[in-house]
Amino acid sequence: MILLPSTILIPFLFIILALLIKSSHKKSIIAILFATINLLLTSYILIQVNKSGMLKAQMGTWQAPFGITLVADRFSAFMLFISAIIYLAVTIYSVQSVDKQRLKNNYFLFAFGILMGVNGSFLAGDIFNLYVWFEVMLMASFILISFGGERAQLEGAIKYLILNLISSFFFVAGIGILYGKMGSLNMADLAQKFAQTGAFPSLFEPSLVLFVVGFAIKGALFPFFFWLPASYHTPPPAVTALFAGLLTKVGIYSLIRIYTLFLYHYDYFWNPIIMWLGILSMVIGVITATSQYDFRKILSFHIISQVGYVVIGLAFFTISGLAAAIFFLGHNMISKTNTFLVAGWVHKEKNTLNLKVLGEMFTKNTLWGVLFFISAFSLAGLPPLSGFAAKYLIIKAGIEADKTGIALVALFVGLFTLFSMIKIWLEVFWKNAPKDENEETPEKPKSYPFMLTGSIMLAVSIIVMGIFAGPIYTFCEEAARNLLNVQEYIKFVLG
Amino acid sequence: MELILAIFIGLLYAAGVYLILRRSIVKVILGVLVLSNATNLIIFLAGGIKRSGSAFVAEGAEKAQLTAMSDPLPQALILTAIVIGLGIAAYILALKYKYFEVTETHDLDQLSKTDQK
Repeated sequence: MILLPSTILIPFLFIILALLIKSSHKKSIIAILFATINLLLTSYILIQVNKSGMLKAQMGTWQAPFGITLVADRFSAFMLFISAIIYLAVTIYSVQSVDKQRLKNNYFLFAFGILMGVNGSFLAGDIFNLYVWFEVMLMASFILISFGGERAQLEGAIKYLILNLISSFFFVAGIGILYGKMGSLNMADLAQKFAQTGAFPSLFEPSLVLFVVGFAIKGALFPFFFWLPASYHTPPPAVTALFAGLLTKVGIYSLIRIYTLFLYHYDYFWNPIIMWLGILSMVIGVITATSQYDFRKILSFHIISQVGYVVIGLAFFTISGLAAAIFFLGHNMISKTNTFLVAGWVHKEKNTLNLKVLGEMFTKNTLWGVLFFISAFSLAGLPPLSGFAAKYLIIKAGIEADKTGIALVALFVGLFTLFSMIKIWLEVFWKNAPKDENEETPEKPKSYPFMLTGSIMLAVSIIVMGIFAGPIYTFCEEAARNLLNVQEYIKFVLG
Repeated sequence: MELILAIFIGLLYAAGVYLILRRSIVKVILGVLVLSNATNLIIFLAGGIKRSGSAFVAEGAEKAQLTAMSDPLPQALILTAIVIGLGIAAYILALKYKYFEVTETHDLDQLSKTDQK
């Protein structure tokens, strides 16, 4: 079975090629080519998984509990596919957005390092393997965030680095303790052992606590999110877009995975905790965003808020709740990345992202204005766009799960999201630009075809996801059913 | 032996956390390195330690000898974790060097430009 490992091998192949090729022009072309291949491959995996339910690959033909297993169920195939779309769009965008010096210094090599880590984490069927892919992803992201070595970047990088390393220590200590107790690292095998031992090891299983804390730091949930808004606005916009779309979502993916495999045995203990993590992230993220006056900082705080929606979807722990969470995750990855791409264009034009000095961007280029409108109001949840369906599904799932209060909080948070998005819209695109003392002569507006292509790709995906929400939701529902049916997963991996 | 190691790990964690809370960046980095090694020792200890039990099977070994063998997997895991830790140590020191070049300070309190106000 070469299909699953090839999603990891393709980025790896590019990394080797990038070392061999000197010209940054050629490297860019090959990067787009490889990102396209990755998209085609993941869509093939998605089709295959949809047909057969699950795919697995045993590395080195060592059978399941002993060897390293790669597993793709509907949830991971969906995540793979969405991240491939984002990756392709950001790659096309980066060709023009990232400056020449960074491109020459092998920007794409490290970006593909992130892709390799992300693809690996979505497929990992082994908990230590998941840790290794996290580290691959982290190393690449450490380099990207400090790439170029500007002062703000270095500051952001130190904060990002220390807190993410601590989260890795939590995670790996948890793995060590869990292995000592259970004698296995394969997730399916572990899930089976948890199911057999019933309430053993104990309610307050320390390794699971360590896992949840580790993933909550990675996913920027409420008490652990401080690294995110302190670092995400420092690197070049294309890098932020890539991080916003992929990195925190991998943390949330892992949280959903361990919750559905292990934590649900101790539901009465974990459910309220996860629920409150979600609610508080949602509310605090959105409220802190309102006081910000930097384009990217507002969006960074919104990442925290929107991750909260996914987590409360998980905490409902019904089929519709999980399906809504998966749908929301997909929608959020695309919309969020696209808002950052538009921020990158504003930065390219004006060299600043301070809302107070920006203005009149809509008259400067209507198309970019429309692109921002689509992605921002998709985040806020306006009807024909994907955000409407995603929020509607979460709220519906909440009411169905008898958690109407939480559904109301989600609605209330939606209002604040709308407020922040309107604030950006008014300040950046609509209001008259504040008069500069040294008035510049109006130059001919530059066009950025590559940047536009990337952003339009994502905007089209948002609209498609909004219009075809029905079929996509049916798929997510099926994915949620697979997630809740742990026995099937265990049987498939071990059998 | 387990008890001594456990106390030792506790001390390492305490030292690591103490160092991470210092103002100097160099001390924070040292703290991260200490924490990473404490975590490696946790894996080693949790996997079960045995006196003079080698992690491989000798040729023609009896079944009785197999029970005296230590579990090779935690050792392999630590090896992976050490390699990752080494890579991170190299990167973080380079970052510190660059940061010092740009700002000429060791003080974490100077890192306030990116904070939310």
